[in-house]
Amino acid sequence: MSAMVKVTINGRTVEVPTGTLITDAARAAETHVPIFCAHSKLPPLGACRICVVEIGTPKLDSERKPVIAADGAPEIAWNPKVQTGCTTPVSEGMHVRTESATAVKARKGVMEFLLVNHPLDCPVCDEGGECQLQDLAFAFGSDHSRLVDSKRTFESEDLGPIVKKEANRCIVCMRCVRYCDEVMGEDALTAHQRGVRTEISSFDRQPLECEQCGNCIEVCPVGALTALPYRFKARPWDLRQHITICPYCSNGCSVRLGVRGMEILRARGTEFRGVNQEFLCVRGRFGYEYVNSPDRLTAPLVRAGASLQPSTHDEATTYVAQRLRDIAATHGPGSIAFLGGEKLNLEEQYLFQKLARSVLGTNHIDARTRFTTRVSGAAVLKATGGGRPALTFEQLYAAKEVLVFGDDLQGESPFAQATIIRGQHQSGLHLTVAHPRRVKLARAKFQGDWLGLKPGSELALLQALTRAALESGDPTDVPADIAQGLGALRSSLAAWTPERVESETGLPAAAVAAAAKRLHGATSKAVLFGRALTEHPQAPALLQAIENLAWATGALTTHTSSVMYAGPQHDSQGALDMGLTPDMLPGYVPMGDAALRERFEKQWGCTLGTHQGSSAPEILEAAAAGSIRALWIVSDHWLASAPDRALVEKALSTAELVVVNELFLTTTAQQAHVVFPVAAFAEKEGVVVNCERRLQKANRAMSPKRGGRPDWEVFQAVAQSLGADWKYRTSEDVFREIVRLVPGYEGMSWATLLPTGPQWTSMRVAASVRSIDAPAPVQGEGLWLLSGGVLFAQGTLTSRSPTLSKLAKHARAVLHTGEAKRLDVGAGDLIDLTGAGGAVSLPVEIDDSVPMGAVFVPYAYADAGLNRLGTPTGAGLRIGVRKGSTAVQAGA
Amino acid sequence: MRGPLLFKDIDTPGLCKLETYRQGGGYEPLAETLGKKSPDECIDVVKASGLRGRGGAGFPTGLKWSFVPKASTKPKYIVCNADESEPGTFKDRELMEKNPHLLIEGMILAGYAIGSHVGYIYLRGEFEYIQRILDAAIAEARTAGVLGDDVMGSGFGFELHTHLGAGAYICGEETALLSSLEGYRGQPRLKPPFPAVEGLYACPTVVNNVETLMNVPSILKQGAKWYRQWGTEKSAGTKILSVSGPVKRPGNYEVPLGMPLSQLINDLCGGMRDGLKLKAVIPGGSSVPLLPASQLDTGLDYESMNAVGTYLGSGGVIVIDDKTCIVDALYNITRFYTHESCGKCTPCREGTFWLSEIFERLLSGNGTLADIHLLGDIADNIMGKSFCALGDAAAMPIQGGLKHFRHEFEYLVQHRTSLVNRRKTEISEVSA
Amino acid sequence: MSHPDMVMPIEAPEIHDWPEKLKPAVAEAISHYPFKRSAVLPLLWLAQTEWGWLPPAALRLVARTLELNEPEVFGIATFYTMFNLKPVGRHHLQVCMTLSCSLMGADRLFRHLQNKLGVGHGETTPDGRFTLRKVECLAACGYAPCLQVGLDYHENLDLAKVDALLERLK
Repeated sequence: MSAMVKVTINGRTVEVPTGTLITDAARAAETHVPIFCAHSKLPPLGACRICVVEIGTPKLDSERKPVIAADGAPEIAWNPKVQTGCTTPVSEGMHVRTESATAVKARKGVMEFLLVNHPLDCPVCDEGGECQLQDLAFAFGSDHSRLVDSKRTFESEDLGPIVKKEANRCIVCMRCVRYCDEVMGEDALTAHQRGVRTEISSFDRQPLECEQCGNCIEVCPVGALTALPYRFKARPWDLRQHITICPYCSNGCSVRLGVRGMEILRARGTEFRGVNQEFLCVRGRFGYEYVNSPDRLTAPLVRAGASLQPSTHDEATTYVAQRLRDIAATHGPGSIAFLGGEKLNLEEQYLFQKLARSVLGTNHIDARTRFTTRVSGAAVLKATGGGRPALTFEQLYAAKEVLVFGDDLQGESPFAQATIIRGQHQSGLHLTVAHPRRVKLARAKFQGDWLGLKPGSELALLQALTRAALESGDPTDVPADIAQGLGALRSSLAAWTPERVESETGLPAAAVAAAAKRLHGATSKAVLFGRALTEHPQAPALLQAIENLAWATGALTTHTSSVMYAGPQHDSQGALDMGLTPDMLPGYVPMGDAALRERFEKQWGCTLGTHQGSSAPEILEAAAAGSIRALWIVSDHWLASAPDRALVEKALSTAELVVVNELFLTTTAQQAHVVFPVAAFAEKEGVVVNCERRLQKANRAMSPKRGGRPDWEVFQAVAQSLGADWKYRTSEDVFREIVRLVPGYEGMSWATLLPTGPQWTSMRVAASVRSIDAPAPVQGEGLWLLSGGVLFAQGTLTSRSPTLSKLAKHARAVLHTGEAKRLDVGAGDLIDLTGAGGAVSLPVEIDDSVPMGAVFVPYAYADAGLNRLGTPTGAGLRIGVRKGSTAVQAGA
Repeated sequence: MRGPLLFKDIDTPGLCKLETYRQGGGYEPLAETLGKKSPDECIDVVKASGLRGRGGAGFPTGLKWSFVPKASTKPKYIVCNADESEPGTFKDRELMEKNPHLLIEGMILAGYAIGSHVGYIYLRGEFEYIQRILDAAIAEARTAGVLGDDVMGSGFGFELHTHLGAGAYICGEETALLSSLEGYRGQPRLKPPFPAVEGLYACPTVVNNVETLMNVPSILKQGAKWYRQWGTEKSAGTKILSVSGPVKRPGNYEVPLGMPLSQLINDLCGGMRDGLKLKAVIPGGSSVPLLPASQLDTGLDYESMNAVGTYLGSGGVIVIDDKTCIVDALYNITRFYTHESCGKCTPCREGTFWLSEIFERLLSGNGTLADIHLLGDIADNIMGKSFCALGDAAAMPIQGGLKHFRHEFEYLVQHRTSLVNRRKTEISEVSA
Repeated sequence: MSHPDMVMPIEAPEIHDWPEKLKPAVAEAISHYPFKRSAVLPLLWLAQTEWGWLPPAALRLVARTLELNEPEVFGIATFYTMFNLKPVGRHHLQVCMTLSCSLMGADRLFRHLQNKLGVGHGETTPDGRFTLRKVECLAACGYAPCLQVGLDYHENLDLAKVDALLERLK
């Protein structure tokens, strides 16, 4: 798109795209031009002036032709003033000098100014050793200070539990303030005063009310902002630094762990590394702490009567193998089910299902324990384009129109949220948020459009959007069968009149139509969805509706996909890819595909058959009913995750064998017969797949804590004990087998995944457009139950991370002011929520981002026990809500 | 009659009333221009008149107007810089206080020329009383159909608002002014893009000084040639000079550009008072290098001032007497810039602070000869490296002072006390 | 010597909304601009005129009115020297100290005020009557020395004139 220009930097000529800034062109010419205020994710500011260089352009004669000197080279007219390289784009024939007397004097002058008020406290500064100012002072500064007068000073401040501020060290580069605004959308920081009294702080020096991401600390080039949890803990040169993948959400951010001995002391981002490019959310930055937790399991536990007793891996393995063999022999392989696995890496996921399918002969495998209904293992892949190259974060940033459907990205996908916010600030991205709550991205500040639909009307809204999109004209570049399908779809959607749309969704039909039109008309676009749809009771229809909408708006085309699925865990995508679903073999190979199935049978040395297994909700029913007798649950707190707690309790107490792989003795693990202690994310290596369907190599930062083993070793040991001929030396061996066997991985190896791996693309699932019979709107009484992820959670891992625990609030039920008034409750009062299966009592929080007529209960507060209500937690459900223990009639 | 043009009728009683203003021919230029001359013709006349920005930089006004992209579909804005903050300058204040309608007329005409239908007058916060005068005049003009959807029946619509700053010298810098007007901290922005292309709300914007805009009506009415009867070839027209310091008659004087500085001070201002002698003059507001008494015959025009190493600037003439310590006076100026530095860029933020510290030490008698060199070196390191002109403004007076009065610095170091210091003596007279 | 915080324990007023009488002015100010944010200085002025200074609650109110983030409004308010983030006395004496005034006796004038009021720069008299402050150039250089009381100019001052002025300011 952009033409190239030649620029000469310190005598070396390089070719760079037009518009490249001198500081970036210098990088290409392998010349170091220092920067402080400039940052790759922020527009040029030109404030710190450290990047001053001398610039010359070809001298032109009266006819604007270059003047040629005696040596045949164009004569250069040098600008008498130095200029900032970070704000000046290169032009054809430009010359830049960084080492001329003028440039050096100017730079040294700026360096001296930067140090005028900077304290000489490097020995007690946490930034010491990795401080850009320290490095540059060393490189360009003088060995003595000409300042004999006193420096201006500020008080140091704690801006909440995360950020420590030493304003004396601040060089007012404004990176923190700008990053907080333009990337995080938080605006928690500001500059106070002006001139030499300029000081970065919060409103009236109050503790920061923000996402606590700590990116302000990350982008601070000096020690003005440091992390309180890391304060005085270590020197950077004492730490081993390992870059791996964050174990939380599906965004797959690269984290750089600082490890000393067997302890992780901090996590950081790295500016030019990973999909996140330095960004981390609060979970990424502080959520590693659970790895260090003293509560980690240190030995396998085997049930002896009422209690679990410490054992050895050998004993536990033998016991598990023995019991599985017995149960299979007595009741058939169909009495065994495997659950969980979204937090495993790809290799482990592969072995987990291989163990189930090839060694034990069961297809009752499902990683999606939160699902409320049976959903095909290929449904998500199909909705995102059936294996077309998935949307990347870079494309998301550059998209002109983005539709976020159903999820609150703040809690579910912080980096996707930051990418959208940055795109909105910097690259003309317009945003439409369809969510019953006024979530962060729906705030006026981001200048998007909020479709605050009635809870339960998700399908209606998708239908209405699709109809409006089809009215905007036929999409171009779609396969013939899709085009045909769209024709049929158009007539089936005729029933979605504006009146019906308004009555079902509660939204003005014009706003819905405008949103569809924007998406349809945008030159680049993105559609994001996540668990709010997949865990919905109408999930299969919703996923088809997303696909319909995507084809109708051009978000899917013959060759591309602009639809992103952000799953709930960091390897939710891998679980689907590796067939941790009852109906798909790894690589979305249907059980019925005889040719490919044979390939698996040959490799695995078994017969697989064509039958499909039971899905997670079906396994739950079957286990509670006693027809499934053995359960192996991997890194999944089933008591908290399954949609019906009473049923899980019954299933766990009924089952003859419950095996749990865990880091901690969760209440689920307490119900087990055998608990295997496993390695945490930083203690093992393997591939994880993020929401871009990008394969990333997660690296090992240290060996497993005492007693723990990577899950794949546990699986292999049990498989061997059951007589399988498994001989994987490392998980890389497993990956080699995946590459050999599973479609779509051809040519890959761990080595090809570094530093940032490719996206897995395999057009194995046929796209389709189908009419959907929308069920009648949910009737009933009571308040709509809304749930969803929140940033500060208290789940299995987060509650074992002290910093996150400090930040998280307790479990709560959030109500609109008006709703609270109607129920006659105030903040902190208890309310009773009653569902079909039971009741929970939660304290009230009042927040008008929740609509009237609804109650919002965040996920991931293990103590909330939302699934005690016995009704699936997806949207579209009504529950009774009462004040305290006195009944209040809720509903219309 | 205090001056040939802007000051001709400035002291007419009640001039700030629309009726009085009209009696003197006010709003005739507007009536004769709107719909009768094309905007391009207006720009051409202003270009031909040689009118240059009277705020300090002296940029040709017509040229500035011509940079506004005509094809742009965005709204365009005309903004009056009435932030008058340059120490030594107080002309815009008198102009606006006494003749607000002339500014309104100038802004409508400038708006017409560049295709703008909304104007803002950015006043420094201390000028709250002038805001009241202007608001009253604007209300009067609106009632009379001079402002509004259909200015004087021409079909051209123009709306005007005043906007009050709140104490920040930097907001006189045009991009900082725009930041402040938009509702941000008043810090300067990167150029390019220049305001003519991306100014207020990222729309094409012209920012002109009060005096500049007030010259526009008569230039459009009387023509470029008429305006050029005053001044020199390159510095055409008249300029209001604000004279302060110990002269007999300080105040604002409108003179043809090119008049010798000595004539202004000795004839118009009546020379020095209280038996003091003139030692130096800062000719263009505190940002410019001072001139020693020996260069008093320099012409008050842009070129002559540049030729002697200083600038006409905003026309704030500060006269310094022989009993005043130059180091002390320069400290006063430096302290001002330290106070007013917005803090955005390093050289200005840190450099002005450091300069003030050194001055304080020198004046307390604890300076060294090395400090004198250091002052010059810091000024050199600021000069041309700061984000906006404020850094240069802080550096230039020091460079000028060191050039012409180095001996006073050296005396101060060697004797630990100033050669002369009238200020210090005066303070001691009232000491507790 | 005294300090506003010590001698005038002024309690920050409870502010929840603009007083009714100010609401038209707030709306008028906002109407002048295509973007609400531009009204931040006008609204801060309205608040300061109403409450005498800008307590945090007033800044929050301005932020809420204009849909701005509170920290940013705080940053804006502290950038401009004429906004009082701390309470000031009934009469805010702001003496210009910049060169032209200094050449005409501003320092002597300030010292005189200091002696007379018993307070220094930035301080308030114990009775809450005066706050004394040095300020930079007020654009009154030709009428030096000069001071502003609140927003009112007083020029061509000498010690006697200042004494008479203080008498008038009760």
